Amino acid sequence: MEQELEKLRSEAAAELVQIQSSGQLEDFRIKYLGRNGQLSGLMKLLGQAAKEDRPRLGKLANSVRGDLEKIFTEKSAALARQHDDAEKPDLSLPGRRRVKGSLHPVSQCMEEICEIFASMGFSIAEGPDIELDHYNFEALNIPEHHPARDMHDTFYIGDSVLLRTHTSPMQARIMEQQKPPIRVIAPGKVYRCDSDITHTPMFQQVEGFLVDRNISFADLKGVLTVSLQKIFEKDLAIRFRPSFFPFTEPSAEVDIACVICGGDGCRVCKKTGWIEILGAGMIDPEVFKMVDYDPEVFSGFAFGLGVERIAMLKYGIDDIRLYYENDLRFLSQF
Amino acid sequence: MKFTRDWLQNYVDLGELTTEQLADDLTMVGLEVDSVTDLYENLSELKTGRVLTVETHPNADTLTLCQVSLGRQTLQIVCGAPNVREGLGVVVALPGTTLPGDFKIKKSKVRGIESQGMLCSERELGLSEDHQGIMELPAEIEPGLLFIEATGLKDTQIEVDLTPNRPDCASVIGVARETAGILRKKIKVPYKNTQLASTSSSFAVEVENPELCPRYAARLIKNVSIGPSPWWLRKRLLSVGLRPINNVVDITNFVMLEYGQPLHAFDFDTLTDRKIVVRTPRPAEKTFTTLDNVERSLDEDILLICDGKEPVAIGGVMGGLYSEVTEKTVNVLLESACFNDVSIRKTARKLNLSTDASYRFERGVDPEGTIDAMERAVTLMGEIAGGTAEEGGIDVKVAHQPVVLPLRSSKSAALLGVDLSADKLAELLNSIEIPSSKEDDNTLRVQIPSFRVDLEREADLIEEIARLYGYNNIPITLPGVDLSFPEQDEERLKRNQASKIMTEAGFSEAINYSFVSSAYDDALQLDGSDARRSHVRLLNPLTEEQDVMRTSLLPGLLENVRRNLNYQQTSCYLYEIGKIFLPAGDLPLPEEPLRIAGVMTGNRNGPHPPLYFKAEETDISDARGAVETLLSEMRLNGHDANQQIQFSSAAEDTTEPFCEEGFGINLVTGNGVIGTLGKLKNDILLNLGIKRDVYYFDLDFSTLASIEPVAKTFSALPVYPSVKRDIALLVPTSISAGNLVQTVLGSGEKLVEHCELFDVYQGDKIEAGRKSVALSITYRSATRTLTEKNVEKAHSKVVKRLTDTYGGSLREE
Repeated sequence: MEQELEKLRSEAAAELVQIQSSGQLEDFRIKYLGRNGQLSGLMKLLGQAAKEDRPRLGKLANSVRGDLEKIFTEKSAALARQHDDAEKPDLSLPGRRRVKGSLHPVSQCMEEICEIFASMGFSIAEGPDIELDHYNFEALNIPEHHPARDMHDTFYIGDSVLLRTHTSPMQARIMEQQKPPIRVIAPGKVYRCDSDITHTPMFQQVEGFLVDRNISFADLKGVLTVSLQKIFEKDLAIRFRPSFFPFTEPSAEVDIACVICGGDGCRVCKKTGWIEILGAGMIDPEVFKMVDYDPEVFSGFAFGLGVERIAMLKYGIDDIRLYYENDLRFLSQF
Repeated sequence: MKFTRDWLQNYVDLGELTTEQLADDLTMVGLEVDSVTDLYENLSELKTGRVLTVETHPNADTLTLCQVSLGRQTLQIVCGAPNVREGLGVVVALPGTTLPGDFKIKKSKVRGIESQGMLCSERELGLSEDHQGIMELPAEIEPGLLFIEATGLKDTQIEVDLTPNRPDCASVIGVARETAGILRKKIKVPYKNTQLASTSSSFAVEVENPELCPRYAARLIKNVSIGPSPWWLRKRLLSVGLRPINNVVDITNFVMLEYGQPLHAFDFDTLTDRKIVVRTPRPAEKTFTTLDNVERSLDEDILLICDGKEPVAIGGVMGGLYSEVTEKTVNVLLESACFNDVSIRKTARKLNLSTDASYRFERGVDPEGTIDAMERAVTLMGEIAGGTAEEGGIDVKVAHQPVVLPLRSSKSAALLGVDLSADKLAELLNSIEIPSSKEDDNTLRVQIPSFRVDLEREADLIEEIARLYGYNNIPITLPGVDLSFPEQDEERLKRNQASKIMTEAGFSEAINYSFVSSAYDDALQLDGSDARRSHVRLLNPLTEEQDVMRTSLLPGLLENVRRNLNYQQTSCYLYEIGKIFLPAGDLPLPEEPLRIAGVMTGNRNGPHPPLYFKAEETDISDARGAVETLLSEMRLNGHDANQQIQFSSAAEDTTEPFCEEGFGINLVTGNGVIGTLGKLKNDILLNLGIKRDVYYFDLDFSTLASIEPVAKTFSALPVYPSVKRDIALLVPTSISAGNLVQTVLGSGEKLVEHCELFDVYQGDKIEAGRKSVALSITYRSATRTLTEKNVEKAHSKVVKRLTDTYGGSLREE
């Protein structure tokens, strides 16, 4: 009896492994676990066993039933998970995804730039969009009747209040508050009253400046070279050429090898092979004097880059006006 | 600043230097070349010819039949010009040539006679407006040559985008000096360091405002014959886009371009009392007519050039209509002066008049170049206009103080990061005619030439060193600075966090202009007293559509919705985080708080075809969900009651005027309303051209960012299992379902762990005026496994509390 129960257990287990379909499984159930199945048959014989053996055999029989039911249930569940061919998924279907939005390309580019400078130890500070003439011009060595004001098509709010035309006022604001060493970038919106294919009346800049002892033009070249190569993710050729800003001396425009044609000359770079990417320079001693820094002790550099322009070059966007129309067909590409 | 290669070549030997290389070199010393243009490419097919014979056209009196030699061949050409004559050098357009204005020349018959080409007038060539007759070429030009080569028109124009600090290069000689520096050559100029021979007594000059006019020199040239300029002079002016006028005026323009010194020629016989007075207007002098025939208003600061009686020019800006040189002029008074830069700039701005002269004076003209330029012009007037110059002239001036600046090689090295000896610095400066002497091994004493008005400080000289040495030759290093932890703007970090949350939640970021149309105040039906109606206004907006700084982000976002729906988007979920601008009373600058706003319309499951998700219209719950997601992800939920942000939809709360009644929710903290969400009124949307329902939210982000987020603290995982009970309650439709949840949670029954709404139903199966609210309540004990009895006891208390509060009945399942 005992042997028969054990045999039943092992035979049933072996048979179950072979089962492939729910039909076979049902046959298995009837054969072993059904009312007239083999286990029931053995259980019926239990009454004929010796009285002292009955509890032991009964326990064994229950254990066998328990085991068989357990493996039957598992097998049944396993089969249920296997589908017939007809129920198999069409694997060519796209995955099911939740709707996601995207960050504006200018924001994406701005964040990349900020992260690159932050990783070099630059703090990030922001200032007001509506600015005093003092910070936008005077403190940057651009007095009222300076011809450099022509370079800024300024939106005015009042006599001495305007929409900042660049992020450079943050140089004056921060240097007024802090003493060197200073290492700051100031991202933000700026405004010029100019609107055409290549200009929007609002755009975004990142101002950066570093003031300490013994900072040189060579350092400016180093920091900008490293940053531009990170921003454009390649070893770009970069050139520095003389320019003029009233708040830096010497001043430089920085060009990168045209990312569209690789420097061979194309429409984007006006056949020069170079694209103007940012303005920079050593902070002018006049600017230092206005914030009470001694230009004999401290020196520093400043730079300002236009984020839209960089995003245009990075992503190949050909019309700056697309940025502020917020067309989802545009936004969803980034 | 435009010039040509050929013109530049007059002052410096360019040798084999290609124009391309020249342009590159100039750019790299700070004279950024904007364009390099081969001139008159459109005239390159034209030939020179010589008229051999002229006969009257047999069929037309006004036409002639000419035999024109082109060297080897002779052509028969019909011509209608009055000046055609035998021996005349002419410009011939052969059949197949295209003239400016897309005018194609064909072989054709004119009144029955074949014409094998055309003789061109200057207007047809685009060289001038002259269409009186055909262009006459100088006799020495051989026939049969290419027109632009034979006449010297072929040249390359170079345009430099001058920075405001380099007025010295607003002259061909200035550019030549820089070029000579690059090539390490010397320039040759017509006149240098000229002095007046004597003082004239045939006229007088008085300067009443020497601070505005530090130098005024003049000479008298008698008996000029006014006429067209010779070809070489016209060619020079044409090559830089200037229109030739007459020989005297052309000379003043030419010398201005050559020396950078603006000159003005007066008709001497129009000057009352043979006198020039430089002064500001008398009280009665309110207007003045400039030579462009525009009457200009004067004010007390505008410097005038007057004769003995009245104004004859606006100093440094433009001459007057009644004293200008005309065909009848016989005697010319030539002015060469130097005006105060700021004064000229103010005048030019006031009059909204920028001229070649004012451009140069505003930036600074060489105070010692006055006589050289005048001498050059006087000589040319003798040569070209046949005038006789008086030997002397008048020169009223404030003595120019030469500037001497120290330049330390140590300072230069520190600032540039490249160590150059004092000798090297001197050599570099000398290459552009800046002399210096050595004070010691470290220091130069630099004598600033008068034409370099921009060099005022040692820093300016160091810039000269940098650009002459070459920016690209300066090494690349990284600054040796102390390590420090970069501070980050907290609000900025929060903004980035919120952006991430919103994009994850399906919103795309919009960025709109900070200025909007004030018409949106009415469009959004803002009350007369609404604070958002007081805007910061632009004094000079680009358009009326952008006349004020925004006080809400919604106008921009709604415009974006309109656009996207017009472009067939079926779903539009946008958010913006940006500043609004609120006037701050007496403070000079407005407040610029940040807001976060979103607009939502169309399919909540996005714009894609509904393969897995049904197209479902956005509703108010999406708007609320978006805000809930934002608040919970920013960990702004779960504060104490006084700090907690509540969603308040009570009818008595003020809702936004643009929000549809019954569809608005306010977000409230202990300190008041910090934002709203809801559905925009249909009539507002229709007026804006939007034909779909739009939901919005609009929150004060600066306030959100200032709330301390709920700290992340761990609570132990439950040890004992929970039990869920669902109930459905029939309540009057006026009862807010959300309140039922609050009632369950606030019932005081300790075993209640959680309660959520899982269905709200109103319809056929339920009596009118009632709705079914289904709640799922989770019970759990922290100390034991709950028995059926425990749960039942707690649950019945909760149910009783609900029915007592809302008078509802349990709905039979």
